[in-house]
Amino acid sequence: MADILDILDIEQPSASEITKDSIIHGDKNKKKYVTAKAVRRPEGMHREVFALLYNDNKELPPLLPTDTGKAYKQNKAKLGMRKVRKWAWAPFTNPARKDNAVFYHWKRAADEAKEYPFAQFNKQVSIPSYSESEYNQYLKSEDWSQAETDHLMDLCQRFDLRFIIIHDRWDKAAFRDRSVEDLKERYYNICAILSKVKTNPWSNTVTMVNGEKRVYHYDADHERKRKEQLKRLFERTQEQIDEEQMLLTEVKKIEARKRERERKTQDLQKLISRADSGGNNIIQTNINDAANTLTSASSIARRHDRKLHKKKISSQQRPVRAVEAVTVEWAGIKFPEARGTGVWLRSQRMKLPPGIGQRKTKALEQELRLMSIDIAPTPTEAICKHFNELRSDLALVLDLKNALASCEFELQALRHQYEALNPGKTLTIPPSLCNTNTDGESKPVGEIIDVVGSPSTLNNTI
Amino acid sequence: MSLPTDFGPDSGGRVKGLVIVKPIVYGNVARYFGKKREEDGHTHQWTVYVKPYANEDMSAYIKKIHFKLHESYANPNRIITKPPYELTETGWGEFEIVIKIYFHDPNERPVTLYHILKLFQSPVSEGMPQVGRALVSESYEEIVFQEPTQLMQHLLNNVKPITNGPWCHDTNFEDKKEKTLEKIIAVQTKVRSEILELKDKLQLAKDTITKFKDEIAKLQNNPGSNLLSVI
Repeated sequence: MADILDILDIEQPSASEITKDSIIHGDKNKKKYVTAKAVRRPEGMHREVFALLYNDNKELPPLLPTDTGKAYKQNKAKLGMRKVRKWAWAPFTNPARKDNAVFYHWKRAADEAKEYPFAQFNKQVSIPSYSESEYNQYLKSEDWSQAETDHLMDLCQRFDLRFIIIHDRWDKAAFRDRSVEDLKERYYNICAILSKVKTNPWSNTVTMVNGEKRVYHYDADHERKRKEQLKRLFERTQEQIDEEQMLLTEVKKIEARKRERERKTQDLQKLISRADSGGNNIIQTNINDAANTLTSASSIARRHDRKLHKKKISSQQRPVRAVEAVTVEWAGIKFPEARGTGVWLRSQRMKLPPGIGQRKTKALEQELRLMSIDIAPTPTEAICKHFNELRSDLALVLDLKNALASCEFELQALRHQYEALNPGKTLTIPPSLCNTNTDGESKPVGEIIDVVGSPSTLNNTI
Repeated sequence: MSLPTDFGPDSGGRVKGLVIVKPIVYGNVARYFGKKREEDGHTHQWTVYVKPYANEDMSAYIKKIHFKLHESYANPNRIITKPPYELTETGWGEFEIVIKIYFHDPNERPVTLYHILKLFQSPVSEGMPQVGRALVSESYEEIVFQEPTQLMQHLLNNVKPITNGPWCHDTNFEDKKEKTLEKIIAVQTKVRSEILELKDKLQLAKDTITKFKDEIAKLQNNPGSNLLSVI
């Protein structure tokens, strides 16, 4: 009966009956047939492992022995199997101490005879020594007496070259007060001299590099300056800090404007070449030549400026773009040529090319309106041509006006710089240049003064 | 396609060096009802149109014209295949009408015009719009056929007049063209002289800058200057 049930995979009713008795006293025989529901996964057994064992409630466990059995039975650590080792309150001496003072500490009774383990950290600095004759031969100094030197070496020995302490313990009654740097300088000098004449290895000052002695060189002047600097930095008042901050931001502003101006100069160069090669071949000036000499001159002047500035600011000056790279191709606006083939509308020819920015477009329209010209005139071939030429010229005019404004601005700046360098004198800007007030773009005077950035005043105040 | 096969899409390609220009006029007329219409609130009747500038029948080369109205109109995409290429509607608002002109030769791509439908006189101060009188807002345009296909050339050169009577427009474009051109040329001359003047000034400015910089450089290089101690 049970076999048939087994074959048909029908559960035995008796097995599924779970009673308190069957759980508590479930014997081995029955357990084999117990359903998965009844078998709890032992705690700690992996789910996968459990599934292997009990995937089918009728299946027997594997015949081969496994070693998992024990692991789940015994989960307590074995503690307290060894005997407790004894601790003892014992005296000890520290070999680092010269006075043989005896202290007590707890230690295992087992490791009795050992030396105090922290004694190994008592490192001694080896201080060079010299005899009287050596001193007289090599170490004589105008500034240092032998007694003073001896005192220094003694302190160095005692305080392991901790110069701050040495300085503190310096016998100010017997000798004159010396700074830490003085002490260090003397000490390292002695070390250097002695390491040259003697073979004693003072490990901390002499290193052997490629069989050659390298002596630590102490740069006292440098150290003094360094400390002085730090001291000054530390002792600044709040006002001084504020002022410095203010000046730094000002310098940044000036630098930014300067860069802007340089950029404009380069644009100007471009513009001039454009104006010359442009469709309006009215004059052929030698502006280009003049401009070239001009830029070289201005770059010299700029270099001067920079030299002055470099003292205080490490500014990231943009490298001056090569003027040769300027394209000498077109004037004002270049309208696209007639397309190849196909149908198009005449008015499309009057569209501004996409390279023209919003601002410029607006400015052009404004100019056209001022001259009461329709911004979209009747598109005939002739009108298209002239209208485009006109806008190209207008764009050039706008550019020239801008360039002129920036020139004027630069002139003002230079004049102020000159006045700052040479008080009481001034340079005269040609009167024809002074009234070019283009579209309110010339800067207010206050700003110009602010911008001048005349190096001398700058350096004086910082 | 009912086109003769010897002018088929690929026959002969394009005619090199030939440019044919067809001027057109497009725009709208509008008429105010005099009051707001009760049932839909419309106030104007308007007609948007594309017509030839010269007296000629454009259907010879134009296949159809597509007027795209504001989306609030029922079926806003209106297609007109025969002259007159116009479309009459009523409405209360102005909007941009997209006009797309298709040609008989599929090798010629359609061209697109944009017209702002105009219902109201621009200066509002003129008071109430007058009843009955039409408002005209039209523009001149030229369709340029650059190296048209042979088919297109044939079609463009064989246009018949629309009417035997006079063909005129509400706007006097000839006059407008002439005046515009005159004005532009006049302004151009002025602007060019201004350019010259500006260039001279610029040159002077640059020279002066050089001079100033030289002065400053001189001053900075001068060892007697008190500046050097500061540096």
